[in-house]
Amino acid sequence: MEEYHRHCEEVGFNAEEAHNIVKDCVDGVLGGEDYNHNNINQWTASIVEQSLTHLVKLGKAYKYIVTCAVVQKSAYGFHTASSCFWDTTADGTCTVRWENRTMNCVVNVFAIAIVL
Amino acid sequence: MMMSDIAKNPVAHSRKKRGSVSSLSSHEFQRREIHGRTKDSMSTVSYMDEPSQRDDVSRLTVQMENTYQLGPPKHFPVVTVNHILKDVLTNYLQEEEYEPELCRQMTKTITEVIKAQVKDLVIPRYKFIVIVHIGQLNTQSILIASRCLWDPKSDAFSSYVFRNASLFALANVYAVYLE
Repeated sequence: MEEYHRHCEEVGFNAEEAHNIVKDCVDGVLGGEDYNHNNINQWTASIVEQSLTHLVKLGKAYKYIVTCAVVQKSAYGFHTASSCFWDTTADGTCTVRWENRTMNCVVNVFAIAIVL
Repeated sequence: MMMSDIAKNPVAHSRKKRGSVSSLSSHEFQRREIHGRTKDSMSTVSYMDEPSQRDDVSRLTVQMENTYQLGPPKHFPVVTVNHILKDVLTNYLQEEEYEPELCRQMTKTITEVIKAQVKDLVIPRYKFIVIVHIGQLNTQSILIASRCLWDPKSDAFSSYVFRNASLFALANVYAVYLE
């Protein structure tokens, strides 16, 4: 039986790297824009798709779940919480909070290891 | 490989039951480092169900035996979980009004409750992620989107939105098969 050699020796999810990737994606899509109800669908779709593509390019054996919530800036409250049942040694998560003058954006990345 | 066998089988891949609940509320949303703490915007709760058995060296070299299974013997029951989400959200939030402190606690409690109920379904080799969003219902606009990169034959998700007079709640459960 042949063994599969991972091309990267790092074990565990690198949250810092994911954080940077996602932050760049969000900056690219929403940077300098104001909240616009017509474009919001398109923006969330691009943020999520671009983040996913960049994460996949890291070449690690992970399944990814990326969620993005964009809220118009207002006096109204918003709460979000998550709870995960998984293998803490191999799986990981990362959250990126971003805001500008007219909106807030919260992106969550969950990475679940595939055992080869 | 069932969870209860880990302690007995030294070669087995050690998986810990660990819950981690973190929540974010935005009355005063401030941009800051992910590790920073400001006065009242972020709280994290995390706990372990079993004592930690960290052993990085052995984890790197551990090999799992072949199961010769091509897919999950028991699939994730989306409809059942939809009902669970509906019941939990309705029971907890039917009578509630939006209040920042209450909802902050409520999001954390609800995620834990949903996770416990989904775990009770005992679906082997599945990992779960439960996400709950609660917000004040008013004229502001919000869009929540998610994309997943996984194997659609074995992995699935379930979602439910609850609304009452003053708040809305969205609960998502993602189930990922351990390949």
